[in-house]
Amino acid sequence: MVDTGSWVQDYSLTLSHWLLVGAAVILVIVLTNRLLQSLGMNAEAATGLALIMPWVLGFLIFSLYPFLTSFYLSLTEYNLLRPLSLDKLPPLVGFKNYQYAITDDPNFWPSIRLTLLYGAISIPLGLAGSLLTAMLLARDVRGVGIWRTIYYMPAVLPAAATALLWRWMFNPSSGLINTILSPILNLFSLGKPAWFTDPQLVLPSYVIMGMWGIFGTTTVILLAGLKNVPRELYDAATVDGAGLFGQFRHVTLPQVTPTLFYVLITSMIGALQFFTAALFITTPREAGTFLQVYIWQQAFQSQKMGYASALSWIMLVLTLLLTLLVFRSQALWVYYEGELQQDGKKRVREPDLVAGTRASQQLSEGQPTPHGGA
Amino acid sequence: MSMIRKILVLVMLFSMLLTACGPSETQAPPATEAPGTTQEPAATEAPGATEAATEAATEAPATAASGEKVTITLATWAGADESNELQAVIDKVNAEATDFEIVHQPNPADYYTKIQTMIAGNTAPDLMWLSQEYVANFADNGAIMDITDQVAALSDMPAAQLDDYYPGSIAVAKYNDRLYGLPWIAQPVVLYYNPELFEAAGVAPPDESWTWDTFKEAAKKLTVKDASGNITQYGTAFNGWPPIQMFIWQAGGEVITPDLRSSPIDSPEAIQGEEFYSDIIYNPEYAVPEEVIKEQGFGEMAKAGKVAMFFGGAADDLDYAYQNDPQNARLTMALVPKGPKDRTTFAWTAITAVSAQTKNPDLAVKAMVALTEGIHHWKVLAPRKSLATADVIAAAVPGKAESAPIILQAAESMRSFNIIPRHAEWDTIFWEQFQDPLYHGKGTVAELAAAARAKLEEVLPAE
Repeated sequence: MVDTGSWVQDYSLTLSHWLLVGAAVILVIVLTNRLLQSLGMNAEAATGLALIMPWVLGFLIFSLYPFLTSFYLSLTEYNLLRPLSLDKLPPLVGFKNYQYAITDDPNFWPSIRLTLLYGAISIPLGLAGSLLTAMLLARDVRGVGIWRTIYYMPAVLPAAATALLWRWMFNPSSGLINTILSPILNLFSLGKPAWFTDPQLVLPSYVIMGMWGIFGTTTVILLAGLKNVPRELYDAATVDGAGLFGQFRHVTLPQVTPTLFYVLITSMIGALQFFTAALFITTPREAGTFLQVYIWQQAFQSQKMGYASALSWIMLVLTLLLTLLVFRSQALWVYYEGELQQDGKKRVREPDLVAGTRASQQLSEGQPTPHGGA
Repeated sequence: MSMIRKILVLVMLFSMLLTACGPSETQAPPATEAPGTTQEPAATEAPGATEAATEAATEAPATAASGEKVTITLATWAGADESNELQAVIDKVNAEATDFEIVHQPNPADYYTKIQTMIAGNTAPDLMWLSQEYVANFADNGAIMDITDQVAALSDMPAAQLDDYYPGSIAVAKYNDRLYGLPWIAQPVVLYYNPELFEAAGVAPPDESWTWDTFKEAAKKLTVKDASGNITQYGTAFNGWPPIQMFIWQAGGEVITPDLRSSPIDSPEAIQGEEFYSDIIYNPEYAVPEEVIKEQGFGEMAKAGKVAMFFGGAADDLDYAYQNDPQNARLTMALVPKGPKDRTTFAWTAITAVSAQTKNPDLAVKAMVALTEGIHHWKVLAPRKSLATADVIAAAVPGKAESAPIILQAAESMRSFNIIPRHAEWDTIFWEQFQDPLYHGKGTVAELAAAARAKLEEVLPAE
């Protein structure tokens, strides 16, 4: 039985703190609005700015400040056990942490290699699988809503739970994967693969596990992208004699490239930040350590928070460079409708990362599938 | 605008009302009614309650003179069952205390990450459990308090009498000859064996005459294969546990010398221990393969009767698990086999330390000493010579009554690690550059030990 009185007593203090925060937020909005209006700003603009002020403050305090602090810490020998204060600042070491990572740390480059290799293999496979699944879900079949819900379910499961599930599935002797494979393996007199305990199979195991991500947000975003493809293009392609593959190659694929571009960027960032599953599944040392896990180990196991901050900044730069590379490449493969110049040449336009969002909005509007599957 | 003003006033009034109705920050939370209904779920599921308790300790240093008990927070890694048992100990300590009230904050998952983050955020608990390898590091960085003088002043309390502790146990609570906590457990490694499997194989049970060779021979004889050659019963199981250090010590070697200046893992004595260990681990003739251990867990395999001999902690439930569930194999405890030099066994030791951030240092130390006394009557083995009796062990854990004589014998030759401030780094190197490659056949003992020694000594304290 729940003791209501005790429950109220336990939570009332916390609840009152939350309410005080709420009151403070309202106060900030009101005061900002008054201040801006007293400075001569018109009421509509002042109200708008006042309403976003809590978010701006939240961003400055909880995102920008830690962001800049982490850069400062990356230039120091900061240890978590020595709390930061103005009279006890950690010793400054300049760019020594960066230099050590790049030139001396024997684990840094292998972890970069493993992380990039994982991304290079899992992202193309994931995108292809997602697109295929999205195309299946875009077909007008009975109960498509239920199928879409089922295929989206992996996205709402906690990463730690799915990691544990996959660890069991990859279990060499009693896991589901080897149980399914065993008739084939027996046929060719092959032993059961040891998956996460075999250094050679660790990366393939993670990549297979990463395919789980096909069924989730990526598929839904691509599905929305598919729904944006105008039906008349398929009609025109059919009149021109295009078959299913022709429609896919000349209509579907070019039309969903903006969405694919968006998904590629987010998938790439996700792959570089691969962490939870790698932390939950123990693998042989030889197989290497993912960069995010290595950063965590340096921060909390070796207590080199300064060095971990430097590694994080290196990861940020790496992510930015790769993202920039993909952005630059979009002129070669991303098709934006209505962007052909008079001479027929494709015009490069500014990056459009809202394609996925726009596609999602249209999905939520419940528009009928224009092409019935290509 | 008038509507916003009205809403704002209402929200603030309601918040003030709730704050006034909430528990006072210095007031202890309601005591638990029974050991079985502890506050652990509230502490783990309701961060708000925990925050409130932390604030009570760190922001409002109430005085005993006011008549109210001061809240002392205690962070542990205890899981649900252990928390229930610990809460019963805490309740008893709190009932007897007049000036403090210990509030338990269990963090069973990712304990050290949380503790370090709390310390970094200046919201450290007053008391915290630390495993032996963390003590020097926390002390060196000023995260825990030097309690030498406070404990000396409390010498009328039994748990504060340092002479009563096993020397190897109290040593891990010290750094630079100053005391930073009190050990609450010293758990020697012992050998659990399955008498039924021994009888079936015609092998005499382990006794004091057992050496490394006897152990290895027995492991081979106790391994059973089916008609197709697959092993159905293993002689033993190693996977980094038991710690290789134990066998190096038994051969007369060291991994970190007592003066903390060198890591002679390539000495002839150390190599003798390392060769013995690497010969057994994952040995396809009689030891459990790596992937099978990962899959089934060797403790569970021993309980299931699939492993004949298993090294475990003296407090493990292997010797009485069958009493709770007849499905479990009936295992018996014995001393670890003797090495070329002696029968030294590893003792896993943990301490309770006092945070350097506590606002009530004297009361926190007093609460820690009182709590330690309580834990010494709950855990096996209490690291105090005066409590090293079969009666105390049986009273603490009735299932250990039969094994008590062996535990006491093991305690006589137990020791802990020599700890350095950068022990986590040292340990990572020791595993990644020596043990892991050694266990996977990536080099000979001598080659790997010589190469790793240089790396290990880089993280030892400077002269």
